[in-house]
Amino acid sequence: MSKIVILGAGIAGHTAASHLRRKLGKEHEVLVVSPNSNYQWVPSNIWVGVGRMKPKEVIFPLEPLYKKKGIGYKQAKAVSFHPEGDMQENTPYVIAEYVVGENKGKQEKIIYDYLINATGPRLAFDQTEGLNPGENNMYSVCTYGHAEHAAQGLKELEDKLKNSDKKLKILIGTGHPKATCQGAAFEYILNVENELRRKGLRDKTEITWISNEYDLGDFGMDGMLLSYKGLRMKSSEMVEMVFEDRGIKWILQAGVTKVEPGKVYYETLDGEDKVEEYDFGMLIPAFAGHPFKAYDKNGEDITPKLFRGFMIVDADYSEKPYEKWTVQDWPETYQNPDYPNIYAPGIAFAPPHSISRPRMSKNGTPIFPSPPRTGMPSGITAKLVADNIIDQIKGKKSNIHKGSLGNMGAACIASAGFGLTKGSAVSITTFPIVPDYEKYSKTGGRDIRKTFGEIGLAGHWVKYALHIGFLWKAKMKPFWWLIPE
Amino acid sequence: MSERISKFEKFKMQNPVIQFFKFFFLNFRILNVVAKGHGGTRDKAYKDKR
Repeated sequence: MSKIVILGAGIAGHTAASHLRRKLGKEHEVLVVSPNSNYQWVPSNIWVGVGRMKPKEVIFPLEPLYKKKGIGYKQAKAVSFHPEGDMQENTPYVIAEYVVGENKGKQEKIIYDYLINATGPRLAFDQTEGLNPGENNMYSVCTYGHAEHAAQGLKELEDKLKNSDKKLKILIGTGHPKATCQGAAFEYILNVENELRRKGLRDKTEITWISNEYDLGDFGMDGMLLSYKGLRMKSSEMVEMVFEDRGIKWILQAGVTKVEPGKVYYETLDGEDKVEEYDFGMLIPAFAGHPFKAYDKNGEDITPKLFRGFMIVDADYSEKPYEKWTVQDWPETYQNPDYPNIYAPGIAFAPPHSISRPRMSKNGTPIFPSPPRTGMPSGITAKLVADNIIDQIKGKKSNIHKGSLGNMGAACIASAGFGLTKGSAVSITTFPIVPDYEKYSKTGGRDIRKTFGEIGLAGHWVKYALHIGFLWKAKMKPFWWLIPE
Repeated sequence: MSERISKFEKFKMQNPVIQFFKFFFLNFRILNVVAKGHGGTRDKAYKDKR
């Protein structure tokens, strides 16, 4: 009998738990430890953020589902890792602290045979002064709660626009020099623009994109060359076309350092300090690792063996210049090299480096996107980790399931408006996620047959179908496993 | 605001009949990218494919 403990119940954690439970017999224990009581389908938060969906449409409670499916669940947050056990017992364990109920604040030792760290990122609003969702007319769509708040803020802005002739400014993008997840901000700016246009308020607003990207359409993936209507165009050209067509201005190479009421301060790659005024803002914060500690059996701090911000896995972390980066640097199994029974799929693993070219401002401030590892790659890496653990438990050859971001495709269906006939999306696929400049030397590191763009209503229907399909899958309804990650 | 996408192109992008067929085509193309598998990059088989 084995006990598998999964920290986190987001896309990666929940995917791993679902597959483990389905494929392992009841004699094996699957336990999820998460501070969140709900599962949320994060990609649909964009629609919550413009008031087109209610939070209850993108979430469901975890406990009843886990009870029904035989998955253990503790609503607690991990505090420390003890992969060698301690002086009393050799069994590895984690310390978790309950976050609700009568046990709130109480810590518990949770032993495991296998540990999946799927704790995702810490939304580091604290790394940018004044960037707190709901303060200074600044909002976020990173969680369903934040998105609901953003929808209220947008409604208030619309009311102001209806009752005034003053032109108001909207600023959407990234809120830290090394922020990632540009795709979410890109979706939000297009949805906000679409909403205001449909309500006849677009002419009263000035909408601006602010980002740490060097070029438009970088998306933290070094941009891409893609096929669009039989032509090959850069993602920067495609996004520029969409922004210009919708009258959206842009500020690039900007590392936001501070937010004050109505003012965003940022540094440019040229080393200039600038200010942009706004009336409504949504800036994606930096993603940071959780402040976990790790100890060996003698109680010595071994945190650097497990973490470098995020969890250390089978990546090549040696320092080398951008020109020497290869896809082989990226992990394949998401297994910790020192403790082979610990894995970190999804956003929880420490990337070897960024995907976009790193750039420093004249003042020495790094201003470039961190690598995105959200959504689909989280699901895929979680499933392969679950499959490798299952193989080990069943005595088969270990770690035959591999999934490097350098040999994995991704689809980004970026909503550009909601509605059965009024909706739209900018659909972009890419293969691989991390460009392999050696293998695909003539097409920007990507397989051009699998890297394409498409704009239109069909993309909205695809995104809505994914919303329904992936919630079905997450709720483990009949034949859920037939839906790919 | 400059009209970078022509009115005819926008008509095609939002026409439910055209987009109905495109929906299936788009799903097929996306599945071809994301559901066709993934793997490592360090083994000989991957490197030999270059």
